[in-house]
Amino acid sequence: MHFKFIRTIARQEWSSVFRNKTTLVLFLVLLAVSLLAVFTGWQYVGKFNAQQAAASSEVHEQWMSQPNRHPHRVAHYGYLVFREKSPLSFFDFGLDSYVGNSVFLEAHRQNTVNMSEAGFSNGMLRFGELSMAMVLQLLVPLFIIFIGFQTVAGLKHNGVLKILLCQRASYPDVLAGKTVGLTAVTWALFLPLLVLGLIAGVASTPGAAVTDLVLRIVLIVVLYALYFLIITLMVVVMSAMSSSDKNALMLLVLVWMLFFVVLPKSAQTLGSSLFEAPGKIAFERAIEAEVSKEGDSHDPNDPHFANLKARTLKKYDVDSIQLLPINYGALVMQEGENITAAIFNKHFDQLIGTYQSQNAVSAIFGFADPFLAIRNISMNLAGTDFDSFTAFQKQTELYRFEKTKRLNEIHLTQVSFANNATQRVNAKNFQDMPDFVFRPVSVGRNLAASAASVIALVLWVVAGFAVLHFVSSKRKYQL
Amino acid sequence: MTASRKVFMLEAKNFVLGRTVLVGAVALLLFAAYGFFYGNRLIGQQQATIDEVPAVQQAHLKGIVEHGEKATVGSTAYYPFFYTVNPPTPWARFAIGQRDVNPYTLKVKMLAIEGQLYDTELTNPLTLLVGNLDASFVFIFLFPLLIIALMYNALSEEQENGVWKIVRTTTGSIGQTIAGKLAIRYLAILLITLVIFFLSVIALQLPLTAPTFQLLLVLLAYVMFWLMVATLVVALGRNSAFNATTLVCIWIFLAILFPGIANIAVNNAVPIPEAAETAVRQREGYHEKWDLPKGPTMEKFYAVYPQYRKYPIPDNKYSPGWYYAMQFSGDLESAQSAEMLFGKLGRRQSLSEMIGAFNPVITAQQALNRIANTDLSSQVRYLESVKAHHRQVREYFYPFIFENVPTPSIDWAGYPDYKPVAYEAGPLAGSVVTIGIWGILLALCALFLFKINFIQINDIQNA
Repeated sequence: MHFKFIRTIARQEWSSVFRNKTTLVLFLVLLAVSLLAVFTGWQYVGKFNAQQAAASSEVHEQWMSQPNRHPHRVAHYGYLVFREKSPLSFFDFGLDSYVGNSVFLEAHRQNTVNMSEAGFSNGMLRFGELSMAMVLQLLVPLFIIFIGFQTVAGLKHNGVLKILLCQRASYPDVLAGKTVGLTAVTWALFLPLLVLGLIAGVASTPGAAVTDLVLRIVLIVVLYALYFLIITLMVVVMSAMSSSDKNALMLLVLVWMLFFVVLPKSAQTLGSSLFEAPGKIAFERAIEAEVSKEGDSHDPNDPHFANLKARTLKKYDVDSIQLLPINYGALVMQEGENITAAIFNKHFDQLIGTYQSQNAVSAIFGFADPFLAIRNISMNLAGTDFDSFTAFQKQTELYRFEKTKRLNEIHLTQVSFANNATQRVNAKNFQDMPDFVFRPVSVGRNLAASAASVIALVLWVVAGFAVLHFVSSKRKYQL
Repeated sequence: MTASRKVFMLEAKNFVLGRTVLVGAVALLLFAAYGFFYGNRLIGQQQATIDEVPAVQQAHLKGIVEHGEKATVGSTAYYPFFYTVNPPTPWARFAIGQRDVNPYTLKVKMLAIEGQLYDTELTNPLTLLVGNLDASFVFIFLFPLLIIALMYNALSEEQENGVWKIVRTTTGSIGQTIAGKLAIRYLAILLITLVIFFLSVIALQLPLTAPTFQLLLVLLAYVMFWLMVATLVVALGRNSAFNATTLVCIWIFLAILFPGIANIAVNNAVPIPEAAETAVRQREGYHEKWDLPKGPTMEKFYAVYPQYRKYPIPDNKYSPGWYYAMQFSGDLESAQSAEMLFGKLGRRQSLSEMIGAFNPVITAQQALNRIANTDLSSQVRYLESVKAHHRQVREYFYPFIFENVPTPSIDWAGYPDYKPVAYEAGPLAGSVVTIGIWGILLALCALFLFKINFIQINDIQNA
């Protein structure tokens, strides 16, 4: 290893790439597409969040201006929560378009999060969405292929490689120099763009947690840098292994297809075949069956509730529910809520577990396809991942449960059993309740969730250098 | 055998024995096989769920009625769900379209409909994001790649290894030679198309009726389009690397970048605040009625259902008739934004069709989904049918609710059956013509370029 040679070759590679007109044209195209993606993404997220916030405040206002009502009517009046996109979602849309945007929270029922963007679009969405992350994940690798496929193979073709090797440079030096040169080009062209795009997009989003965002941005930049390095290593290795630049190009384009079209789809469909998730009807029926086994609040002869009745009567030392100082109807309802919520949460966790196993297949494929690894990490860091959406679902369910519980408590203590049908409760009781605030998944948890993918990326770098070293030691690849 | 015939046969032999054809065809076949499996599995699962629905509905109603034994219809009617299903057409196995995203079973109560219409199916969002690997994906997305692989070096390879100069000097008509070389590739690709389509007809059990042939028609036009794209690039007369790079760039532009940009453009141009608004209005429209005088609520209901005016509604206490009138007015008050929502969906559809006219990849995909009835319009038709069913269920139970009869005294399963949406043959000619026009334009340009670059060459020395 001679660092002087490596540096010379890297510098030579750098200037030869920039001398090539194709580089400039391709870069300008990618620059235009990235700027377009950042701008439209940012504009779209802004518009969308404003729309959601407006709906949210309308619902909140309606809640606060409720007249005096019976608490159980308020429990059915319920609450609507509108999901807002994360501050970095303009960079990587992730799953955002495929998950619901609003959920109706009411007593007794766990509703689905509805109104996803995908449900309101035709098939065009399925070709993929243009975001900056998509440009960096899919198109920049292609850029590296196009500027780098001839890097070694071209030298073989025109005989320069032999001349180089006859001088004091060794083949490892040549390959290392080429890698350094190409990586430098890619980093110089795209990392500043990435940093600027992220900062510009975030700067216009007020009220975000700054340290969290800075940490996310730094991680995104570092990991994308690694990703570009991996692709560059792959290009140099394949270029070195090919006898002509034409073959190198064919091989690289084929690998690109494999990594970006074939493997991602195969991995996910394999995952969903291996771990079969129940459909909605099956899911709901399983919950219903278990609830009716546990205790059915609508059935007067149900043992669970007969027991509750006996215990309550004994506790207050009376012999009929009419004589209780509390509203027995509210007690039954809360007990029913406790049962269904616990059973629902158990089944929901199982369902999420099944989905996570399905997604883990894709994460494991990240060891065979760096795109899958970076896709996973990028979504996680942008807060548009599976965990973020699951967190939203769980937090809204918890909020629903707490709200219903508080309403049942009001019902229990402030509404008399005898006047249940007509009595109302002062609206102030409802106004005191806290509004729903989404707590985003912390960057630590996001990173932990994509640990496998981060490891995969690091392993890819190590493996890339190892293969580069191996190729450089083989005589047949020098010819 | 004439000399040109011999050359043609030799070329055919060389081409077919070349590794690319075999590898490409086998790879595509493998993907197609997986696509068949995937389409059958996904649609099979949906069908199995749909088949379960009648039994689920029956058991559900039975349980509700048993519970309500001592109650009146008016209070029991709050509980039951009425199921609707959107059965897949036979062609959905070929083009799954949006069927994985959209719910294919919906259950509604007799309460206000708007809040119940947009319930989603339980799915893994990452699976949705990655998308389906079905037969239509193989044709729309992967087939162009095979075409690129088989076409990019049609002429350039021989130029690069020096054979072309010999051909030029020995052949009588260079035009005929080029036509021969291209024809062999066209035939091979056409053959692969037909074979894979034929296999999909068998594997997916597509009925031999008009829609199946429409699928084939769209695919043939689409394959033709890509053949012409490749021919045009070949006609530029550049080297193999240039051809491959250019074709891959065109593919990425048409199949990834263009739809990505178009999608954002459509979403930006037609935002749907109505989605949230409908839910908010319906909820408020219904719930505020509890705190308002009963008269005006009932008047709104009587305006549509005057026959129930004869039943007295007590002014100072709850009654089932009033309850369902409140639910009904929730729907009335959100009707406008609900209608606007469907209108916006229609606008999104027509806008994307307009944009699609500039991109045969989008046109072809939408045409396949339309033929399979797996597109957005089909889903909107399904939602409309759910609304219609909701109405006929309500109207069946209203008399019993107002009469206030006991629960066991009526036939709870006697409401009119849900009628699934019938197959709708969408307009197709436009799509095929659009793709066809693109193909013809490209073919004409290619012909012109061949003339310049290959046939009338002044500088024969360096041809």
